[in-house]
Amino acid sequence: MDKRLQKIAAIEIVVLLAIWQALASLEWIPAYLSSPYVVGSEMWALIVSGELFTNAASSLYRSLVSFLLVMVLGIVLGIAAGFFKPVGIFFQPIVDVLNPVPKIALLPILMVWFGISDTTRILLIFLTAFFPCFIATKDGVHGVKQVFVWAAENMGASKFQILWKVILPASLPKIFDGLRVSLGLTFVMMFSSEMIGSSNGLGLGFMILLADMAGRTDLMFVSVFFIALLGFLFDRILLAVRARLLWWSENRG
Amino acid sequence: MENKTPAIEIEKLGKVYTRGKEEVTAIQEISLKIPEGKFVSIVGPSGCGKSTFLHIVGGFIPKSSGKVRIRGKEVDKPGPDRGMMFQESALFPWKNVFDNVAWGLEIQGMEKSKRDEVVEHYLKLVNLWDFRKNLPSELSGGMKQRISLARVLAFNPDVLLMDEPFGALDAQTREKMQVELQRIWQESNKSVMFVTHDIDEAVFLSDIVVVFSGRPAVVKEIIEIDFQRPRTLDVHKTQEFMDIRNHIWDLLHQEQGTSDEEGM
Repeated sequence: MDKRLQKIAAIEIVVLLAIWQALASLEWIPAYLSSPYVVGSEMWALIVSGELFTNAASSLYRSLVSFLLVMVLGIVLGIAAGFFKPVGIFFQPIVDVLNPVPKIALLPILMVWFGISDTTRILLIFLTAFFPCFIATKDGVHGVKQVFVWAAENMGASKFQILWKVILPASLPKIFDGLRVSLGLTFVMMFSSEMIGSSNGLGLGFMILLADMAGRTDLMFVSVFFIALLGFLFDRILLAVRARLLWWSENRG
Repeated sequence: MENKTPAIEIEKLGKVYTRGKEEVTAIQEISLKIPEGKFVSIVGPSGCGKSTFLHIVGGFIPKSSGKVRIRGKEVDKPGPDRGMMFQESALFPWKNVFDNVAWGLEIQGMEKSKRDEVVEHYLKLVNLWDFRKNLPSELSGGMKQRISLARVLAFNPDVLLMDEPFGALDAQTREKMQVELQRIWQESNKSVMFVTHDIDEAVFLSDIVVVFSGRPAVVKEIIEIDFQRPRTLDVHKTQEFMDIRNHIWDLLHQEQGTSDEEGM
């Protein structure tokens, strides 16, 4: 990003925090809206005690396992569905029916099946984040220029070589668009999936639930802030990987 | 000459599309022999199926009837015995120029040292060795097509198939490319089947021009062209050239009525 824009963004955040702090100090806003100072010191305490990290680790584990599943299954099945017509036809009705369903609505069923467990949570996150990746990958495959495949066939490439060395790289820009949406959803659903309660008593979403029950909005803000931070961090990691893999592409940015 | 196996032999080739419930005959029945080492162009009114015809010979589109033989061997799938050059650049945008040309050789399992030698040879042949590290997106349309030609020549096909390779280029670049192609073709000694809608291009480049009729396509006339090689662009100004061109022009324009209805 542009250095100047980075500066502006930093200033913006500082100003907003300052306004929040000023409003809180002057008691113009109710106490349950807390203040940056209170939230900051609470966060520091949770960092020092290590509590924040154990909670974050628990949440991250659920998110990243889900995202890994999304990545592998979304890309593999998306490519298969885009390249092999029968596979595409097979998945079409399933995707059409399931994609618009809010996956959280499936929670009761998942809970009957797997209880309040990480399996339930990971499945819920996976079901939500899978579709953007799958659909983008399939679209990406459909968008690959016919002459690329013809040229590869012309040079004697096998079906597998065409998939691996032509279809995959050619649809990679689209795949990354899908992955980015999926990653965002992963973090959104990480929070939702922990609202059902936590089996091990850990998780950033679960922290919010506990803070709510205790009337501790400052703790809630700590957790929200940390989820935002993690979401931002992983989005940046994804963008860095994309820039590396798509160095040849015009829209690597 | 007559006893030799032709480089390309097409026997009663036909193509019927089904569009909805309707059956559309794109190619009626075409038989054609292309002798070894000759440059053969196919011209015809737009939409006559000449490009479809070439794609069938390449094995990219299935035929409805007939046979295609390359050096006597029947084919119906794409293969490295026929090097196809497309109108649109088929270079992989994620590979640089060198790796694009090396791609087919790698697929065919040629070892690296040999591969590098071959790529160097062909990139030098098309005068683009200096651009080996560039991405295709950094090259002009004419350069891209020269790289495409190098890529196709590199895997050493028996015949070259070219589908309006200069169709997207401006008139001046086009003429330069025609002279370049003649030079490269003379060095490589390949048999070429070249599809174009540009009569001048066909006459300038070819030993033989095959004129297709409008849809459904049949061979209307086969014209031999025997200007001395290497030809220069000046050949355009000779009376002989103009006579041949006008003759082909007349042949194509008798068809105008039918081809207009068909559209592109």
